[in-house]
Amino acid sequence: MAQKSLMWRLGPLWSLVSLLLIVYAVTLVNSRLGDGIQVQMRYALVNLVIVVALQMFIGTSGVLSFGHVAFVAVGAWTVGLLTIDPELKRNLLPDMFPFLFDVQAPWLVAVILGGLVGGLLAVIVGPFLMRLNGLQAGIATFALLGVVSQVLTYWSSIGPRSGQSMVGIPDVLNLQTTMLITLVIIVIAWLFQRTKPARLLRAAREDPIAAAASGINVVPQRVIAFAVSGVVAGVAGGMFALTNRVLQASQLGIELTFITLAMLVLGGVLSLSGAIVGALVFSLIDLVLVQLQSGVDIGSFVVSIPQGARPIVLALVLIGMLLWRPSGLTGGREFVWPFRKHAPLPGNPVTND
Amino acid sequence: MSQLLQSLVDALSAGATLGLAALAIGLVFGVIRLANFATGEIITAGAYTLIFTWQLGWYISIPFAIIVAVLLSLLMELSVFSRMRAATPATLLIASFGLSFLLQRVYELAFTNNVQTAPVASELAQSISIGGVRIQMLSVATILLAAILLTGLQLFLTRASLGLQLKAAAADFKTARLIGIPASRVIGLSFALSGILAAAVAFVTTVQTGAVGPTFGVPITILALVGAVIGGIDKISGALAGGFLVGFATSMLASWLPQDMSNFKDAYVFMLVIGVLLMRPQGLLIRGRGAVRT
Repeated sequence: MAQKSLMWRLGPLWSLVSLLLIVYAVTLVNSRLGDGIQVQMRYALVNLVIVVALQMFIGTSGVLSFGHVAFVAVGAWTVGLLTIDPELKRNLLPDMFPFLFDVQAPWLVAVILGGLVGGLLAVIVGPFLMRLNGLQAGIATFALLGVVSQVLTYWSSIGPRSGQSMVGIPDVLNLQTTMLITLVIIVIAWLFQRTKPARLLRAAREDPIAAAASGINVVPQRVIAFAVSGVVAGVAGGMFALTNRVLQASQLGIELTFITLAMLVLGGVLSLSGAIVGALVFSLIDLVLVQLQSGVDIGSFVVSIPQGARPIVLALVLIGMLLWRPSGLTGGREFVWPFRKHAPLPGNPVTND
Repeated sequence: MSQLLQSLVDALSAGATLGLAALAIGLVFGVIRLANFATGEIITAGAYTLIFTWQLGWYISIPFAIIVAVLLSLLMELSVFSRMRAATPATLLIASFGLSFLLQRVYELAFTNNVQTAPVASELAQSISIGGVRIQMLSVATILLAAILLTGLQLFLTRASLGLQLKAAAADFKTARLIGIPASRVIGLSFALSGILAAAVAFVTTVQTGAVGPTFGVPITILALVGAVIGGIDKISGALAGGFLVGFATSMLASWLPQDMSNFKDAYVFMLVIGVLLMRPQGLLIRGRGAVRT
C-alpha cells in the first residue's frame, strides 16, 4: 500500500517531468541539426511559451481570448526599450519620452519586467473583460489587441515612428538559455494548474451553473488566471524581442494570434501537455515545410514544394484538426505514468468532448 | 457647414458598407451561430473577380462577381462548417479564422502579394457639387445600393415563404426545425445571401480603392464583425445597426480628429466597442438583459 501511495504522490509529478523531458529532448535533437534549424527552434520555443500562456487562460477558464498577443507585444516593447543601448535609442527613437533614453536593465531583469508589464496590463483590463463570456469575450479581447497594436504602431513617445522598427536589441539569448526559460515557464504553468483559482475555474468551465451554485464567484478567479497568463505572455514577448532583435508592432498582431491559437487547438486546449505537444508538433511540421520549400535531396530526386505552400499546409492542418479531432492531439489529457493504468490525475477532469 | 454635410454623407456611406458586411455575418450567425471571419475572403474573391473581368463590361463583371462570391460562400459551408454543427461559437470562430488565413495564402499564391488594379466603375469615383457641397458619387451610390438591398431583403424575409423560413430559423433554429423547416435549405440560403451581400461590399470597396490584394477584405471584416457583436449579432437588425454604427463612427473620427490623433481612430473605435460590450453584452438592439446564447 505504501508503494501505491508513493505512486499516487509522484504520479502527478510525472505529468510535469514528461513535459520537461519532451521539450529538452526536442531541443537537444534540434541543436545538433545545424545553425538554421537552431534559430528556428528558438522561435519555436518562444511560440511554445505564448501557447502555454494561452492555455493557462483559455484552457483553464474556457473563455476565448484573442488578446494575449497584446501582452506579448507590451512585454517585447519593454525588453526592447530596456536593452537597447542609450546612445542608439537617442538616435533611432528621437520622439520618445526623455526618461526612456536612460533606463537600462540587464536582459534577464528586462525579461522579468516585461512579464510584469504584461501582467499589469492584464490586471488593469481584466476586471472589465472578465465579465464577458463566449463570443463577446472573444471580440472584447480582440478589441484589446486592436487598441494595443495601434498604440504601439503610432505612439512614437514609447517607440519607433510608425512604419519604422525598433532595432539594436543585443544578441544575448542562445538556444540553451531560451530552453531554460521555457522549462521554468512550464514549471510555473504546471504549478498554476494545481492552485485553487485554477481548480475553481476548471470546475466553472465544466459546469457554470453548478459552480455558481457551489458559491464560486468566477470573475475574480478569471482575473487571476488572466493576470498570471499575462505575465507568462509578457515573458514570451521579452524572449521574442531578444530572439528576433527587431521589433515592429505588425509582427505581434493578428497573424501571431492565429498561429499560436492554431498550435493550441492542434494539441488540445484543455491540457498543458496539449499546449506543449501542439506547439512542438506544429513547429516540427513547419520545420519540415521550410526544408521542403528550399528543396530536399532524396537519392537522385530533389523534393520541393512551391514557395507559399507552407502557411497553406499549416492552415489545412488546423482546419482538419477542428473537423476530425476537435479535442486536439492529446484529447485534453495530461501524460500519466505509463505503468499505471486508467488513473486520471486528481484535479484534472478527463473530458471527452 | 458644407464640410459637415460632406463628412456626414461619407460617414453614411461608410456605415452602409459596414452595415451590409455585418449583415452578411449576422445572417449566417443567426442560423448556425457561426461568426464567419472568412466573410472577408468572400469579399476579396468578389473584388478580384471585378478587377479581372471589368474590361468585359459591367453587365458581365458584376453578375460574375456575385456568382463567385455565392459559390465560395456555399463551398465554405459544404466543405467545413457543415461538418461542425456540434461545435461551440468560439470553436467555429477559430475555424473560420483558419479558413480566412488559408484563403489569403491561396490568393497570395495565385495573384501574388502585389495589388491588382483596374479602373472599376471609375465614373463613380468623381465628385459632384451641389450647392457648394462636394459629394462623392460613390457615396451616394453606396447609400442607394444599401437601401435597395435592404428593401429587397426585407421583402424577401417577410413575404416569400423561403424568406420567412429563414427568418424563423434565425430567430430560433431548434424550434424552426421542430415545426418542419428544412435545416439544410435554410442554412444554404443564409450562406448564399451572405455571399450576395459580400459581393455588394466588394463592389463598393473595389470602386473606392481600385486595387485588390490578398488581405483586401480583412480590415472591413474585423470592423463588421465587431459591429455585428455590439449591435447584437443574435438579431439580424442588431447586426446591421451595429455595423452601421461602427462604420459611421470610424468615418466621422477620420474626418474630424486632428491629423496626429486620427492615426489612433481604430483604437478609439475598439475602446468604444469594449465599453458597449461591458454595458450591453447582449447587444445594443436586444431589449432587456436577454439570455446571452453562447
